[in-house]
Amino acid sequence: MLDLVTNPPPGSELARAKEFGVDLTLFISTLRRTPTERARSLSEGSRIFKIAKQTLLNER
Amino acid sequence: MKLEETIRILYDAGVEFVVIGGAAMGLQGSAHLTRDIDFCYARTAKNMDRLAKALEPFHPVLRGAPPDLPFRFDAKTIGNGLNFTMTTDLGDLDFLGEVSGLGPFQDVLAASDMKSVGGVECRVLSLEGLIKSKIAAGRPRDLYVLPELRGLNEVKKKTGLE
Repeated sequence: MLDLVTNPPPGSELARAKEFGVDLTLFISTLRRTPTERARSLSEGSRIFKIAKQTLLNER
Repeated sequence: MKLEETIRILYDAGVEFVVIGGAAMGLQGSAHLTRDIDFCYARTAKNMDRLAKALEPFHPVLRGAPPDLPFRFDAKTIGNGLNFTMTTDLGDLDFLGEVSGLGPFQDVLAASDMKSVGGVECRVLSLEGLIKSKIAAGRPRDLYVLPELRGLNEVKKKTGLE
């Protein structure tokens, strides 16, 4: 998998994604997680985003 | 957003649903973040009643609507509408009766995978389904995630990872 995301085959969807700017190495960690862990990660990401947004609004 | 808890609540209430949108992307392995949870729900009388009762304790209101706008998320309201974007005590939840590019619930269900989330077996829109719906929706924010979804789909097929 490491080779696949660091050196995607030319002409593949992965190569196109990399060219578009997607960090393919993130797949290594996300695909290692279970769906439950992914759900928790999404909720945590959303919580952090909410705090950051509120902090920015408070600073204005 | 409380994804695991929301899925558990809907499951316990016997609601027929498929996780779609950004939450489905995340559950399929995307690194994309989302602030709301989107679901497609079955529009049977029984399911709409179960959905309304499941969400009632979490005070659903229409997102972005004036606070004094009368709104009651009950089976009748659901039956008279189709798509609902709401703010609840569980976070922002969207319930769609159909999904662009796929169709009504049965078609969305057919394009879904079973995932175990917090011990609950629930349906999550597949990567192929997500790609199809994003193409059909066609908004810049939908098209923006296509390269990642297609790449992720390829990795999964080549590695067998889920």
